[in-house]
Amino acid sequence: MKSVRLWYKKDGLAIYTSHLDMNRCFTRAVRRAEIPLWYTEGFNPHPYMTFLMPLPLGQVGMREPIDIRIEGDISFKEIRQKLNAVMPEGLEIVDVSKPECKPNEIAAAEYEIIAGFADAGEAEGFAAGAKSIIDSGVLNAEKRSKKGVKNVNLCEMIRSFEIEAAETNIHIKTVLAAGNTVNLNAELLLSALLSQFAAETESLTIVRTKLLKEDLSIFE
Amino acid sequence: MYPKELEKHLLKVQKPGRYTGGELNSIVKDKSKVDIRYAFCFPDTYEIGMSHLGMKILYSLVNARDDAWCERVFAPWNDMEEVMRENDILLYGLESGDAIRDFDILGFTMQYELSYTNVLNMLDLAGLPVRAKDRTALTPIVVAGGTCVCNAEPMAEFFDITLLGDGEEVTNELIDLLKEYKAKGASKQDFLEAAAQIKGVYVPSLYDVEYNEDNTVRAITPKCGAPEKVEKRNVADLDSMFSPTEFVVPFLEVVHDRTTVEIFRGCIRGCRFCQAGFLNRPLRRKSPEVVEEQCRAICNSTGYDEISLCSLSTSDYKGLETLITNMLPWTIDEKINIALPSLRADNFPKELMERLNAVRRSGLTFAPEAGTQRLRDVINKNITEEEVLSTAAQAFAGGWTAVKLYFMIGLPTETQEDICGIANLAQAVVDEFYKNPDKPKGKGVNVSISVASLVPKPFTPFQWEPQDKPDVLIDKQNYLISCVKTRKVTVSRHVPWTSFLEGVFARGDRRLADVIETAWKKGCKFDGWAECLKPETWEESFAENGIDPYFYTARRREYDEILPWDHMDYGVTKKFLVNENKKAHKGETTACCREKCAGCGANKLNGGVCDEIGKTVV
Repeated sequence: MKSVRLWYKKDGLAIYTSHLDMNRCFTRAVRRAEIPLWYTEGFNPHPYMTFLMPLPLGQVGMREPIDIRIEGDISFKEIRQKLNAVMPEGLEIVDVSKPECKPNEIAAAEYEIIAGFADAGEAEGFAAGAKSIIDSGVLNAEKRSKKGVKNVNLCEMIRSFEIEAAETNIHIKTVLAAGNTVNLNAELLLSALLSQFAAETESLTIVRTKLLKEDLSIFE
Repeated sequence: MYPKELEKHLLKVQKPGRYTGGELNSIVKDKSKVDIRYAFCFPDTYEIGMSHLGMKILYSLVNARDDAWCERVFAPWNDMEEVMRENDILLYGLESGDAIRDFDILGFTMQYELSYTNVLNMLDLAGLPVRAKDRTALTPIVVAGGTCVCNAEPMAEFFDITLLGDGEEVTNELIDLLKEYKAKGASKQDFLEAAAQIKGVYVPSLYDVEYNEDNTVRAITPKCGAPEKVEKRNVADLDSMFSPTEFVVPFLEVVHDRTTVEIFRGCIRGCRFCQAGFLNRPLRRKSPEVVEEQCRAICNSTGYDEISLCSLSTSDYKGLETLITNMLPWTIDEKINIALPSLRADNFPKELMERLNAVRRSGLTFAPEAGTQRLRDVINKNITEEEVLSTAAQAFAGGWTAVKLYFMIGLPTETQEDICGIANLAQAVVDEFYKNPDKPKGKGVNVSISVASLVPKPFTPFQWEPQDKPDVLIDKQNYLISCVKTRKVTVSRHVPWTSFLEGVFARGDRRLADVIETAWKKGCKFDGWAECLKPETWEESFAENGIDPYFYTARRREYDEILPWDHMDYGVTKKFLVNENKKAHKGETTACCREKCAGCGANKLNGGVCDEIGKTVV
């Protein structure tokens, strides 16, 4: 039995698949691909499969990790080819590797956000306003967690933030706290900013580009 | 693929995966290269529709043709409907995102009477008139099949065509005919008249129905050459019948998300309340080798880790032992669980079940249906209390600690003693658990009983019986609960008003079309969902149209009354059903087909052959 880290890309129609459904979806894909999986023992044997960092519904992920356990000899290249041959639309294995970092080393994630506004003036106004709020270091919002709803300062969870307007769109590149202890959903940040200006977007794409460690080096 | 303009709204609705398409094994074709576009419409949510085997079969069957493309359409939930109506998005096929208004055939599957308003709502969301007569163009032709079309009369004004019986052959014949008529630019009327000549095709508009003063049917008269009786379609050989090797694999969790393969059609039992048991006669078996091959193919193409061997009474399948023995080596190896739904308590395959549990333990459910032997004889559920108890004892000895029992109330001749008998039987099952010397330590037993209400259905021996009114059913349910003396027995019950509405439509006639349309216009839809059912709105709709719903449910019909579905022929003769009804009232049972042919008449559909009794002369 050995652990293998799969890295997948999720976009297109697949972004409407929830985290729980992703689990089922991958279990089946791995079965279709006839990857020699290691099964848990007990009354209800199931393959070992852990999504390291749930991706919220509606967001694109460029390189998202899943750990699986396999038995027998099969190369990383073969795993990738076999899986990609049976993956549903919108899901693709971009890499297979040995798990280098421990799952709890994930501390941050980089996002690219594109939001469309009704006109260029609104986009420009929002970009300028959002920048000054983030620079001020205070953006309070209600954040849900398992313990309930809490009012928190989102700026404390922002590691970096760049925003610019281009015609009717705004582009954001940001690094936010991620992981089991502190985690900020990019969508929450954006909706908190929008509510400051009572603004609404016409379109919205949130892409998680990479997962990072505490020192902002890449999580491998 | 969904229409582009929907994109910015998709994340506002619950479970957007219902509306996106793009699932594994869904089929996308080049629309310029097909002649017929077929929308398979399921009038309920995605999760329910995607669990339906008939849809999987017909989807694959139509898509196996190069000249046709079948897409899936489900009823959007209320939040999505709101988005669609606000943004003028028409109901679309999940594969292409194209509006189904421009398709050639809209095929609805009618599994449940309470989805009738959803059909109207879906036609409206598609941008089509709900009444057949207002859709004057040749296409789209609105077709319906499935259990409910054995009496499609309440929906006769809305459907252009209904298909009776097995759909595997007639669907292709209908597509061929439409392709021909479309090519020659024929009128809808010409097409419908020609379609009515295909066996199993019913065109409601080609029949005039007259009523007596007491609202019973006086006469049903075919016109334009339509047949006097529409005979249901029967696929003779299940081994060579089309069967899918791929299922569309949903992203989101659906009700039954697994490999399902039929092992036989029809039933040898003859329970007098069971519509499916009579509608699907004669019995036709699939051979174990073919079943196994199909299970393997579907598991390979889907990655499912559960197989359901499906039929009306799985433990009656003659090849069960062989089939399971052959399948176990590879299913255990691949960690695939085999589920056997619909087991009987009198031939429970205990050893098989123990072997099946090698992978995962499944739940155990039996259906004694009635609480006393007298009433079980009336309904011809030929199971004794001893059989139920000894099966329960075996199951407990095998390590089970929970058993589910299905019962019905509102059965003909039912007394308080029969109702209390349900609680007594459940108690006796609990007692069996404590008699087991090897019972697991520290673990209690749970017997859950699910109590449905009888809805007398067409083509059953109970089609002439009155149905209990909702208040009577509520009293009976409460009485049952008062008879349960232990917390080890949990009772779940059906909503009596739901059974009432189901009963109205099940044995209804064409006069109900106005009621259905009125109720839908007042906002009724998803009537089978307790949170959506609006009894007051329905009551208003009946009153506004001057219809007394109890005319359809509460009345005992005479044997010689013309029933609204008398021009449908499902093989089983009326004479047989009358005789079964009389025997029910005398408490006499009828042996199952394996013991003795009861002469129901259905084998005439199969060239005199019934797989249970072999070739006989009737």
